[in-house]
Amino acid sequence: MAQQAATKDATHLNRRQLLGLGLSGGSSLLLGGCALNGLSETVGNATQPLNERIEALMQGKGPVPLFRRDQVDPKDLLVNSFNGVPQLDPARYRLRVDGLVSRPLSLDLAALAALPQQELVMRHVCVEGWAAIVAWSGVRLADVLALAGISNLGGYLAIDSADQYFETWDIASALHPQTLLATAMNGAPLPAANGAPVRLATPIKLGYKLSKWVTGLKVMASLEERRGTWEDQGYEWFAGL
Amino acid sequence: MDEAMAHHPAPIRHSPLWTRAFHSLNLLVLLVMAASGLQIYNANPVFGGRGGATVPELLTLGGWLAGGRDWHFGFMGLYALNLGVWIALLIGQRRRKLADTGDLGTLKASQNKAKRRLSAHRLVYTLMLILLAFGLITGMAMYKPAQFWWLSGLFSFGEAFGSTSWQTLRISHLATIPAIALLMLAHVTLSWRIGGLRLLRSMFA
Repeated sequence: MAQQAATKDATHLNRRQLLGLGLSGGSSLLLGGCALNGLSETVGNATQPLNERIEALMQGKGPVPLFRRDQVDPKDLLVNSFNGVPQLDPARYRLRVDGLVSRPLSLDLAALAALPQQELVMRHVCVEGWAAIVAWSGVRLADVLALAGISNLGGYLAIDSADQYFETWDIASALHPQTLLATAMNGAPLPAANGAPVRLATPIKLGYKLSKWVTGLKVMASLEERRGTWEDQGYEWFAGL
Repeated sequence: MDEAMAHHPAPIRHSPLWTRAFHSLNLLVLLVMAASGLQIYNANPVFGGRGGATVPELLTLGGWLAGGRDWHFGFMGLYALNLGVWIALLIGQRRRKLADTGDLGTLKASQNKAKRRLSAHRLVYTLMLILLAFGLITGMAMYKPAQFWWLSGLFSFGEAFGSTSWQTLRISHLATIPAIALLMLAHVTLSWRIGGLRLLRSMFA
C-alpha cells in the first residue's frame, strides 16, 4: 500500500517535471534560439533530399507561363552584388565555352547577336523574398551549348563571372528553353549593375543562380568541391522555382 | 461543486498519449515555422523592403537567411502532414467538432454558458484549420511559383489595388502568423475557463 502511494507520488512529480520541461522547452525555443541556430544546417541536410525528390516529381515539363510587358515595374528589381560592379569593355568581351564539348568556343558579342534572339517577360525571384517582373532578352543558353556540342557525359555546367562569382547548374536547367544568356533588359541594353554585357536569366531558378557578368561556361561530368559562391555558405544548390 | 472539487480533487484524466504527443508536436511545429518564417522576413521585410523594420532576433530561428530557410523548409513537411492527419481525424470522428451555422446562432442567442463555450471553441478549431491550410497554400505559391504558377496566379487580385500578385502573396502568408496567434490565444483562454490548470495538465503532463 505504502509502496503504491510512493509510486503514485513519483509519477505525480514526474508529470509536474514534464509540464515544467514542456513549458521551459517552449520558451527556450523563443528565447534561446541561438543554441538551435547551430543545428540549421543539420535540419536542412536531413530534409532537403526528400524536398528535392518531391520537387522533381511535381516539376512541370513544359515552359513556365510568362507575364505581360505592362506588368514590368523596373523599380521592383533590386541590385545585389557580392563584389562591386565590374566594368567590362564590350569590344574586348569574350564568352568562353569549354569542358566536355566537341568545339570549345570563344564568342564575342557580335557572335552572340548573330544567334536567334528572344525576349521573355518573367518573374525574377530573390532568395531574400522579393520578386520583380522583368523583360530579359538575349540568346538561349541551349543554343550556345548546342553550338559547342555538349558531350553525353556532360551533367553539369560551371559558370564563371568577371567579379569572381561562381555558379554550378544541372545541365537540364541550363538547356531549359526559357534559360537565356541575356544582353538586354526591359528593351534597353543591359545596365552594368544588372550584369552587362551578358548575364543569366530564367524563370525556373532563384536569383542567386543567375550569374551576372558571365565570362565562362564549362561543361562538367560531375560537381566538384566548389558548388557556388552562396551554395558553399549554406544556400540550396538546386534552388528551383 | 467547485469547493467540493477543491477539497477532494478527482484524479486528472489524462488525454491518450498519442493525443498529447500530437498536440505538443503541433505546437512545436507552429513555433518553428513562425520563428524561422520571421528569420526569412528579416532578409527583406515585407513592409518597407530593404529600409523596412526587422523583427527582433529573439523571435527568430536560424541565425541568418539560409538557416531560417533550412528550418522553414525542413519543418514544412511535418506541418503539412500534421494538418492532413488533423483533418482526417476530424472527418473520421463521430462527435461533431467543426463549426456550422448553428454555432453562430448559439453564440448570438443562447444563455447557456457551457453551450456557448463549446460553440466558440468549435469556431476557433474550424478557423484554425482554414488558416493553417491558407498558410500552406500561400507558402507553396511562394516556394515554387513556377511549378505552382496557377496557385501564385490566383493572388493577382491585388493588382486591382495597386499591389503586385507577389506582394499580395507575401502579405497573405505573413498574416497567418498574427491570425494563428490570436486563435491560439482564444483556444488557451477558452480551455482555461473550461478546465483551468487541470485541463492544461491533462494535455501536457
